[in-house]
Amino acid sequence: MSVSIAIKQIIAFTKRDFFSWSTYKTAAITQIISIFIGVFSWGIAAVYVNRDVPEMYGGSDYISFLIVGITVGNLIMPLIQGVQRQLNPWTLETILMTDIKTPVFVLGNIMWTYILSIISFIPYLVIGIGIFGAKLNTNILATVFSFLISFGILLGLAMISTGMRIVTKSTDPLTWAINILQNLFSGISFPVVYLDTIFFPGASTISWFLPQTWVYHLCRLSMLTNPNLLDPSIQFEFLKGTIFAVLLLPIGYKFFWWGVNRSKKEGTLGWY
Amino acid sequence: MEYAIETRKLVKRYPTKRSSSMGYGRGRGIPSFSALINLIRGSSGAYIEALKGIDLQIKPGEIFGILGPNGAGKSTLIKILCTLVLHDGGEVYVNGYDPSKEPSNVLKNLQAVLPESRGFSWRLSGKQNLEFYALLYGLDDTESKKRIDYLLELTELKERAEDGYQRYSTGMQRRLLLCRALIRDTPIIIFDEPTTGLDPTGAADFRDLLKNKLAYQEKKTILLSTHNLQEAQEICDRIAILDKGKILACDTPDNVRHLVIEEREIKIDILPIFPDKKYDLLVKQLNEFSYVTDIQPETNQNGRIFRINIRLKKEQEITEILKVISENELKIKSVNTQEPTLEEAFIQMTRQAKKKVIKEEETGK
Repeated sequence: MSVSIAIKQIIAFTKRDFFSWSTYKTAAITQIISIFIGVFSWGIAAVYVNRDVPEMYGGSDYISFLIVGITVGNLIMPLIQGVQRQLNPWTLETILMTDIKTPVFVLGNIMWTYILSIISFIPYLVIGIGIFGAKLNTNILATVFSFLISFGILLGLAMISTGMRIVTKSTDPLTWAINILQNLFSGISFPVVYLDTIFFPGASTISWFLPQTWVYHLCRLSMLTNPNLLDPSIQFEFLKGTIFAVLLLPIGYKFFWWGVNRSKKEGTLGWY
Repeated sequence: MEYAIETRKLVKRYPTKRSSSMGYGRGRGIPSFSALINLIRGSSGAYIEALKGIDLQIKPGEIFGILGPNGAGKSTLIKILCTLVLHDGGEVYVNGYDPSKEPSNVLKNLQAVLPESRGFSWRLSGKQNLEFYALLYGLDDTESKKRIDYLLELTELKERAEDGYQRYSTGMQRRLLLCRALIRDTPIIIFDEPTTGLDPTGAADFRDLLKNKLAYQEKKTILLSTHNLQEAQEICDRIAILDKGKILACDTPDNVRHLVIEEREIKIDILPIFPDKKYDLLVKQLNEFSYVTDIQPETNQNGRIFRINIRLKKEQEITEILKVISENELKIKSVNTQEPTLEEAFIQMTRQAKKKVIKEEETGK
């Protein structure tokens, strides 16, 4: 299959989901309102406790740290949840019978949600900077790299999660475990090194084994500290994130097909 | 390729205690560690055999019907062919390709109309839905447009093509499913209960489309599963009766009808007579023929007998019967033979199979 057809297929999914989204007007409006309410509630909290964040992102403050974290969080979570939301007995069997390639299936199903996240990413930042005084110190190239690495990591996780969900139908124990750990260890709302102060020295080591930590870390690094990509220590940080992405993508692919084949074996592909 | 679809000793087993062994599911909260281990390893233990060594050969261009009661294994067989379920034993080929090993090649040769697998976006029009699937099937724009226009014409959906799918009637939804299955123009099409839920006219139109356009004009091989025996008799070249994972019969509908039915019934219309001693004598004489198993008169409102229904061995000729009736001075108006129906054959076969199972279980005990 040529790349152009694969791209057309992804666009077809995206168009389908966009048309569908735009016709559910009430849902679309409430979603947009939620974006604004969300950023205000986090922004106010950040202003209330504002302080410098010298531990990891020198020169940055907590408002900027939290706004970037929340924005990135909103940008990436749909990647994991996007395919799962599309799974139901009416679509999965039919889509699989088209013999579509796995990456196209996964990318196609998350693309519109991702585009919507990017659209909502901008007002988040605008409100964060304009109203709450968040200060960005961004290296555009590093941000692009960090987004690409994040995309790889989260695509891998999305495929793992989807494979599990196809088998378990409801609770996905692996994603559940990862999300639980992420809430505590990946540093959405505090620098992970602070865990060493709260728990015991070295507690933050756990964080660096969680893929999401790298997503938040690299995005913050790129957007808050204007990193020099020629600096070997920065390159090493990006390399570590890349390793996660490179490992998770094939694992995710295998997991997805494990789920599909397991379900085919048990005859439960159409069950939800 | 000699056969479009071929199965040899095809076996499928399903685990029966899956959810309890896994220990989690909707509303059950956090999974236990052992549940996770079971999840990774796969289910083991008790299972049910949905298909017990199915042998089936379907020739290219045939309309082949799979008949069977609920739980017979029809859907399992169809889903194996559609690459949606993996078989556990035996062999299965679709135009020479094994669905478990070469799903891509199988799907280039076979598509299906499975009512439960709708997969259409309710907010998109029928045409937009088809364009979406055409892209997933890898058709380019020109090819896709041409094919979709042709299929909308074929299924008489063209005038409503721009309407939202949610506004389609059941019959139109079914025809759109057919359009989708035909987008790829595969030589084999599978239908699972194609006319269920359709009104009589819609069902007749659908059968006509299936038989005259798809089978005869486009020369496609058609496999359909149905509960509707009349439908099977009407359109299928051959049928297989499936029950509890086994094929009980596989032949033309006519041959299957006669396979288990050992008797037939003749209906002899006579000039009406009152049931008197003369009639009793006639019945006595007819009962003397060893091949006659039952005699039932039919009476009109005045109590006169106007028809005699006689059941007799299937192959028996009726000259002697007619002679006796004539000799008893009854005036014969017409003679009709009531052929066994496919429904009678189906019921008899499935009952016999059930009795056999019960007997085997009792013997086993």
